[in-house]
Amino acid sequence: MTQETQIIHQVLEGDIESFRLIVEMYERPIVRMIRNIISNRESCEDIAQNVFFTAYRKLATFDPARSNFSTWLFTIARNKSINAMRKKRPVSMSELPHNSDEHNPSDELAERELFNELDVGLEALPSAQKRAFIFAVFENLPYEEIAQIEGVRTGTIKSRINRAKKKLAKALKEIRYEK
Amino acid sequence: MKSEKIYNAWKERKSQIDIRENFADEVMNQIYQYERDKRRPLFDVQRLIELISAHRFVKAGVVTAGAAAGLVRIIFVVYAFLAC
Repeated sequence: MTQETQIIHQVLEGDIESFRLIVEMYERPIVRMIRNIISNRESCEDIAQNVFFTAYRKLATFDPARSNFSTWLFTIARNKSINAMRKKRPVSMSELPHNSDEHNPSDELAERELFNELDVGLEALPSAQKRAFIFAVFENLPYEEIAQIEGVRTGTIKSRINRAKKKLAKALKEIRYEK
Repeated sequence: MKSEKIYNAWKERKSQIDIRENFADEVMNQIYQYERDKRRPLFDVQRLIELISAHRFVKAGVVTAGAAAGLVRIIFVVYAFLAC
């Protein structure tokens, strides 16, 4: 029995406070994933809270034989993010996150511009490609787990990630060529 | 800056995350509130009083219904008395 399964068992037996361990274990990856998908820093934590609340309410339906707990939780977060994306207005350039370190002003400015361009490139990807890329590159999830979250075959995920990487590489080359 | 270096730095930045300190507390408070609401009886007098006193129109509705019921009762008593 994994540590998570043990905690879930305790929660289902009435030890509500044990659920805090689950929240503390997954708060960072879940908030980060939502932030990268919806690109809205203000609402991502509220959506993440809703993800954990939904997970708590539906905990009895989690079946360890069907998936890992992280896969189940990421699936809830994915669905909530898609719903939030449907409701939200388009993101403006100024809303995209930027690096605030101040080492060398000129390097810093150039770097920030390149990062912003990559952010724009990521934002411009078709949503399924974008999510697959985020799960693989920022969350380091294995392709099989991403396929389970997205409800598609592993091959589809591989091709989505490759296409996303190619588009971002092309965007990066174009930026450098323009400069 | 080489493309790979830029890409890795960007990846690194996108992987960083700051969340508010009381995030877990807020989730747990929501869960405890949910559990409290679940355990509340379906008909709770205290809750009903709170509901009535919180809304002006509900208060007016309750007073009107009470007055109407009183009036009907008086009419009924008078009718019964006259019938005797």
